[in-house]
Amino acid sequence: MGQDTTRPRDYAIEARGVGVRYSLRFTKKTSIRRTFARLLHPERGERSFWALRELSFRLDPGESLGVIGPNGAGKSTLLQVLAGIIQPSEGVVEVHGHVSTLLHLQAGFDQDLSGRGNIHLAGALLGIDHRLMEEREESIVEFADIGAFIDAPLRTYSSGMRAKLGFSIATAVDPDILLLDEVLQTGDEAFREKSQQRIREVLTAAKAVVLVSHDMSWITDFCNRAILLEKGRIVADGPPEEVVALHVEKSENRRSVRRAVMEDMRTGKVAPKRRRSIIEAATKGPSRVEVAGSGEVAGTSEAPPQGETAGASEAPPRGESHP
Amino acid sequence: MQTATEAPASFRSSALRPGPLGLIREAVGEILRRQRLIRHLMNAEVKRKGADTVLGNVWWVLDPVIQMGAYLILLTVIFQRATPDFPLFLFAAILPWKWFASSMSGAVNAVVRQERLIKQVQFPKIVLPVSALAAEVLSFFFGVLLLLAVLFLMFPAHATINVLWLPVIAAVQLTFTLGLALMVSAVNVFYRDLGILTGHLIRLWFFLSPTLWSFDSTVGRFDAIARALGPTGLAILRYNPFAILLTAYREVTYGQVDVAGTGFTPGQAPDLVLLGMLFLVSLGMVLLGTIIFKRLEPAFAKVL
Repeated sequence: MGQDTTRPRDYAIEARGVGVRYSLRFTKKTSIRRTFARLLHPERGERSFWALRELSFRLDPGESLGVIGPNGAGKSTLLQVLAGIIQPSEGVVEVHGHVSTLLHLQAGFDQDLSGRGNIHLAGALLGIDHRLMEEREESIVEFADIGAFIDAPLRTYSSGMRAKLGFSIATAVDPDILLLDEVLQTGDEAFREKSQQRIREVLTAAKAVVLVSHDMSWITDFCNRAILLEKGRIVADGPPEEVVALHVEKSENRRSVRRAVMEDMRTGKVAPKRRRSIIEAATKGPSRVEVAGSGEVAGTSEAPPQGETAGASEAPPRGESHP
Repeated sequence: MQTATEAPASFRSSALRPGPLGLIREAVGEILRRQRLIRHLMNAEVKRKGADTVLGNVWWVLDPVIQMGAYLILLTVIFQRATPDFPLFLFAAILPWKWFASSMSGAVNAVVRQERLIKQVQFPKIVLPVSALAAEVLSFFFGVLLLLAVLFLMFPAHATINVLWLPVIAAVQLTFTLGLALMVSAVNVFYRDLGILTGHLIRLWFFLSPTLWSFDSTVGRFDAIARALGPTGLAILRYNPFAILLTAYREVTYGQVDVAGTGFTPGQAPDLVLLGMLFLVSLGMVLLGTIIFKRLEPAFAKVL
């Protein structure tokens, strides 16, 4: 990656057969001791799972794509792949145009730099010209509207302030392609209105937008296309209203099946260990979890979050941060 | 639309990775193109270190001075060492050692610490260890100014034209450190044990390197040490990269202690053959470190 392929193309993003595999051998808590343990018991090792699989789509200029799906479906992973942060384990992604990717708006960049310092650091990270960034600085500061905090270190910020600043930076840099994750988390009511307005502006200026949100109204309001991801695969692709309706119906369905199974468990009709397979069968999602050997990672220790059926094995090792 | 030239406007991303030479070419290009980013990260690093202390970046200079003071007391008062002009003797070696030690502790966590950044923006990760080292170069620079002041104002009898070799020796040390830094910063993402281990290894390395002693000042007792170590042990001790580097630093500033251990000869030229060989080895380590780093880089965002 990194090569310039500046020949004119008529699409903004193209993904062909993209798959992302996470190795569960290296997680945050890897230590040499665990590696030795795995060398001694190879049958317990070599766990991996596909966060995305066989993903193909093409985004034309002018399209704004909403990505929806249950927790752990691979939405954030998809954005990271489109941003070039993660490289696909299989398949190819081609992106034409400058990408603005402040994926976790709440995170910020450097905790010890001031808000202004972070604006310039963001500019340097995104490779945006220094002078342009100077020019934009005041408008970013004004839009973020966090008062004197702009000159205080980022670690003193509330999460709302971080999100405001992050959103202001992400949308101020005139990206060709804007990738946004969880826009709805952005600040208070007044700011939300302002940011809706800003998104509309960016939508008209940018070549393409990809938006991940749990707030269905954002998808229907701002996108002219939506895809539904389930377990790393595209299960629906089309007009936002239809895809959203399908998603709502499916998660309703899952919830009711789950409720019914839980009820049966309570009354003793179903053994607890069968719960998962029943829900799984009832909602018929494509399977994407490949876990060779059994272990606690594929286990049942975690209760699946709402709207989630396949359970703990879907949580990627780094943890997708959907608050 | 905009003048951004530092980040590619378009990219193609797949599991295919270039070979070793391609990786090195890529790394060099990234470092050259993203100099502004390196500067920004370096500034952030400098700010971070100075942020929570009253004296701020004055500590760059104070830190090695205090450390030298502690060893001075330990060795002259408790162990009754009588090397002539001992403060200069110690400072000439402790200062570059301090540079190495803090470079390594910064580099070990350079990638791991930027977890947030790595997961939200695509940028060449190699700028992280590079900017961590750059920040340390800056503080070493101020330390060297102090060393020169000590040399010329307090111990002018030692000063010769040979201090001009300092930048050359520092360049070799920087190359050596860069190679190691690239390796540990990348591997530490996967094995956090390395971060803990590095601290201990560096402390051990400190005592095995001629910081508190020198090969000539132990004359008299050196025969006994040589016998105890055996030829291999002695060779390792003598050709340890920091034996070469620290001896060179001391030779060009302090000079050499007499065989008797009571007098000294002032600053002299370093052993250029040894330095040259160390430089070649270091260059090889930089290439190897770059390849290791670039090979592991795609996995950072997934593992962190």
